[in-house]
Amino acid sequence: MRRTRTGWLLLSPTLIIMFIFGLFPFIYVLLVGFNDWNPFSARDGLTYIGVDNYRNLVFDNLFLNALGVTIRFTFFAVLSELIIGFLLANLLARDFFGKTLFRIVHTVPLMIAPIAVGAIWRLMTIPGFGPIPYFLDRWFDVSFNIGTSSDQAFLSILIMDIWHWTPFVTLTMLAGLTALPREPVEAAQVDGANRWQIFRHITLPLMRPVILTTVFIRVMDALRTVDEINMLTNGGGPGTSTRTLGIHIFRVVFPQTDYGYGSAMSLLTLYLTIVACWLLFVSLTQVRRNN
Amino acid sequence: MSEEKELISSSIPKHEVPDRKGFLPINANKFDRVFISIVLLVAIHLLWMRFLEAFLPIEIATAISVVLSIFIIWKG
Repeated sequence: MRRTRTGWLLLSPTLIIMFIFGLFPFIYVLLVGFNDWNPFSARDGLTYIGVDNYRNLVFDNLFLNALGVTIRFTFFAVLSELIIGFLLANLLARDFFGKTLFRIVHTVPLMIAPIAVGAIWRLMTIPGFGPIPYFLDRWFDVSFNIGTSSDQAFLSILIMDIWHWTPFVTLTMLAGLTALPREPVEAAQVDGANRWQIFRHITLPLMRPVILTTVFIRVMDALRTVDEINMLTNGGGPGTSTRTLGIHIFRVVFPQTDYGYGSAMSLLTLYLTIVACWLLFVSLTQVRRNN
Repeated sequence: MSEEKELISSSIPKHEVPDRKGFLPINANKFDRVFISIVLLVAIHLLWMRFLEAFLPIEIATAISVVLSIFIIWKG
């Protein structure tokens, strides 16, 4: 009894902080999501409207477009980062000339703030000023303008995210690779397995928990990317081609001051993120149990 | 058999809810089953509002969700 009381006493600061900064805002947003609340409208205060915000949401083409952009962005960014990161980790696991320098240079993007990453890429992609449109035009005769082409804008935000976050994937993969036991690989080599067979049947299954954990972290991050895309494409342009859910919510909540609808969107985004992460988490824990 | 069961139950810490293999394709404890029920409840209501509310009232979705939730928590 005494031990339990001491445990609760020691936990109480964390629980209080979690309630104030985690649970209370969640409950508040949940309640606001069922109300119409625009402080600058003729109607003052909150007006209960039931599930009308959610009813409007499932027919809101701008929201559904932002959802589609976010899912596409998350899928392609995380997949690319995973493949490139895994290859680079395999490279860094070996010894070669200039390895330390390469590792330092490769990790530099991780140290830069997302808003600065957006600013750097914006400077690099401005037509008539940035080096990317200049060299693409000069060498390949390609007209590059992310202000007018939605495909190029989407490709730019993808490449920017890959550039920014691949080092993180590489580092986690490298940690996983260096922690792998040597015995199974040596046993396979004695049995005459080639490099592909060792990779396919030993390295990859042993790396599965590390890969799934990395995907888990990156998916959560990619689903809530706002600042760097907002900076690069000036709020998700051209049109709404790079407007992710985070940017869309920002534009509805702050410039339009539609707090009720914005809360509903935030909650739905949270719901989708939790579902996606839970599915990944289940696959991770089930694999661990099966192993 | 009873010794084995005793050994398993003694190896589970008291604060952990033991897993159970029901009709769900995963080993789910009570929290997992409640969570899956809430996720499905929200999904059914959103999809109903999008595709079926013009023909059928939302209360049917609520009834289906509640029945499904009870079934998942009970047998999942």
